[in-house]
Amino acid sequence: MSDTPLLELDNIGKYYGNIIALQGVTTEVHAGQVTCVLGDNGAGKSTFIKILAGVHKHDQGEFRLEGNPVSFNSPREALSSGIAAVYQDLAMVPLMSVWRNFFLGSEPTKGRWPVEWIDKSFAKQTAKEEMAKMGIDIRDTEQPVGTLSGGERQSVAIARAVYFGAKVLILDEPTSALGVKQSGVVLRYILEAARRGLGVIFITHNPNHAFPVGDRFLILNRGRSMGNFAKDEISQSELTSLMAGGAELEALQHELSQG
Amino acid sequence: MTTAAEASTGSNGSEETHDERLAYRGIFQRVLVRPEIGAVIAAVGVWVFFWAVAEPFGRASGAASILDVAASPLGIMAVAVAMLMIGGEFDLSSGAATGALGIVTILLVRDVSGEMAGAGFSLWVALPLSLAIALALGWFNGTMVNRTSLPSFIVTLGSFFVLKGAKLGFSKLIVEQIQVGTLDDLADYAETTGASDKGYGFLNTLFAAEWDRRSHIWEARDNIYLLGTFLGLALVIIGVFELHHRRAERGIPAGYAGAGLGLVSVLFGINTLHSTDSVSGNWTGSLLILAGMTVGLIGLSAARYHPLSDRSLALPTGAVTSFGLGVVALAGSIIAAAMIDSQNSENISWLGLVTVQGGRAILFVSLAGAALVLFLIGVNRARRSSIAGGGLLLAVTALSVAGTAFFVRAESQTPKFRTQAFSFMLMAAAIMLVWAIASMLFERRSSTGHERTGLALVGSGFVLALVGLGARLLYVTQSELDAGITKTGYSVRILWFAGFTAVCTWVLTRTRFGSWTYAVGGNKQASRQVGVPANRTKVQLFMLVSFAAWLVGVLLAFRLNTIQASTGDGEEFEYIIAAVVGGTALTGGYGSTLGAAIGAFIMAMSVQGIPSARWNSDWRFLFIGTILLLAAIGNNYIRGKAEAAR
Repeated sequence: MSDTPLLELDNIGKYYGNIIALQGVTTEVHAGQVTCVLGDNGAGKSTFIKILAGVHKHDQGEFRLEGNPVSFNSPREALSSGIAAVYQDLAMVPLMSVWRNFFLGSEPTKGRWPVEWIDKSFAKQTAKEEMAKMGIDIRDTEQPVGTLSGGERQSVAIARAVYFGAKVLILDEPTSALGVKQSGVVLRYILEAARRGLGVIFITHNPNHAFPVGDRFLILNRGRSMGNFAKDEISQSELTSLMAGGAELEALQHELSQG
Repeated sequence: MTTAAEASTGSNGSEETHDERLAYRGIFQRVLVRPEIGAVIAAVGVWVFFWAVAEPFGRASGAASILDVAASPLGIMAVAVAMLMIGGEFDLSSGAATGALGIVTILLVRDVSGEMAGAGFSLWVALPLSLAIALALGWFNGTMVNRTSLPSFIVTLGSFFVLKGAKLGFSKLIVEQIQVGTLDDLADYAETTGASDKGYGFLNTLFAAEWDRRSHIWEARDNIYLLGTFLGLALVIIGVFELHHRRAERGIPAGYAGAGLGLVSVLFGINTLHSTDSVSGNWTGSLLILAGMTVGLIGLSAARYHPLSDRSLALPTGAVTSFGLGVVALAGSIIAAAMIDSQNSENISWLGLVTVQGGRAILFVSLAGAALVLFLIGVNRARRSSIAGGGLLLAVTALSVAGTAFFVRAESQTPKFRTQAFSFMLMAAAIMLVWAIASMLFERRSSTGHERTGLALVGSGFVLALVGLGARLLYVTQSELDAGITKTGYSVRILWFAGFTAVCTWVLTRTRFGSWTYAVGGNKQASRQVGVPANRTKVQLFMLVSFAAWLVGVLLAFRLNTIQASTGDGEEFEYIIAAVVGGTALTGGYGSTLGAAIGAFIMAMSVQGIPSARWNSDWRFLFIGTILLLAAIGNNYIRGKAEAAR
């Protein structure tokens, strides 16, 4: 991997009025690697995503993209810099076909205005190919997205972000609504996206999902960073206990053994 | 099944490759998931119903008036409203807008004193001006809906009343009555004073030209009609065969000779039918056609398609049960028809609506129809376990249809049934029989590749049939004219309707704007997140509706003697009904413009059919209401099936 990280956060902080939503967060994302952001509810994960995706600006610290400090004014700006966020609700229209959803808002066209039409065969073929590159063999691109399983829908969203030139992919809790098997499938897509040279930010509250795929772990708790570790610096059980606010769990264990 | 073999043959050069996990959906299932299919079935059903009870149905004059009512204002508006509804919004002001824009156009041409001459604008100025007003109205509706985030139902209900009031108020203010005068005064004025007619002559041709059938004589018409419909039907059947069956790697080339022989036999049969009136001639002709169809299509199949590998005839109990019930229903219909006195034309006391004869016909048709449906359900159930068994049941069904046809001919009092219905049923039975034989001999296809040929055949078949039908409807022969026929005029409005529907359908299915329309109606939030200009799309949809209202208003202005201030008020619900009958979801995100156009036809048929059947036209609303409910339920059911099937 190159020495300059694709994306680098240095002591980032964010205030809403007098509320400290995020403070002292430092981590980095390398191309071809997965950085996992772990935290329980209310840990500041949403704020973290919103800063990266350009919804909010950070108030403290420095946010560097390929070594240059940046601050985004809008999600569109973030997107055009190559940071794509895949949110939980996935931004899909259930009654529309896979290929139409894949290209929605950026349809390839033929002809000239005003006689301009969608290049349907190109769109269908590209959607199928791009999905195949992610290791997903979609059965029929004319199928409505509403009939896909949760994991498949997730994969359409990821493949779409990759195709439209994302360098950094932010996945917001992609496995939280899925069953065990489906989660495994999505984790494979995450690795596949990283293998194709993207920097992936995987946000989750499940250390069992994060540990197998992550190269770097950022643990948030109540708006503060509890640590930023490379994979060889931490074990899965340490990760779990840190995430739950280790001390509290130990206290609970102590109480239980006494009781 | 046979996927391995298919994979080796099915992918040479075809653009769509087959995925073996995807259960292949046959051509009929694929047609059934289209949103407009419910409307097509309903349209055929309604047409057949009125054909049986109303005299002008099946004549050119009936077709002309149905087309005219369907086209404008109903059809043009229904198509535009369907697009708006797919985009997730309603426009309750669309009905009032049609009248308002017609009035505006006329008032712009008049001068202040109310005279249709002098100081008013030329039509060349008035039309763009009223178009600009229309687009502004649509822009206002759309922008209000976007800005206030109120339901479009409320916003456009407001603009409906504003328009309604403005129409009345301005009409009274300017011309001091609630109707505005006619545009054809312009022509009179130009004639008497020698001044310019302000574009009336040319624009009248553009918006109100009429094709009078009686002044277009074409002796070859009947030949074109026969040739077009028969060849068209043949091409459609061959195309469906092509789409339905699996291509063989190596067929039997001799089959093509059989196909040629069959074609010759069919042509001979048609010629025999056409040139004789004797009973034996009719029999010879019909048998020649049947034999030709069978030999030809089976020959063609032998040459091109893979023979059926599994020929077991095991019938599941479910199939036997429904088939048995079908036999009971058919027997019941025949017994009932035979028992009721066919000569009795007295009214049945219940409501005085139907005669004994009519009641007999309704009883017979509904029981026989139920029998057919039960038979087909049986066939469908049988196919699940044994294709050949399904074919066998279908052959029996075909024979029973043929038998019923002869029963109808023997028993019916009306010439319509004795000749037209009889020959149609016989034709349908022949097609079913050949289909049944083919399905017992040849393999169905299991992938979507190689569809070009089949689709091209079906398409050109439809075009040919339309040409034949068009020739029949648009032209007369000298002998017909001598016998005296009623005046039948086709308005240019029909062309406007056809063109508008074609353009809207293209836009909806092929362009980005169409995709965005579905997207904003299906999930506005999501479409905005991926960069669809959701608000702009909605405003443009409202403007499309008001453009349609302008077009309809102008067509009205050129058509009617006067436009009343109330013209169009309340019609907006008819547009919505036509769209819903055509398969458009009230919730947005689903539907079709073609379906809306067909929905307009259904409405027009009920408008024309009820008086033609000599019923009180008040029944029309009951009829439309029933159709709306049935259509909504049917479409919902089909949509559920369609999504499950995918």
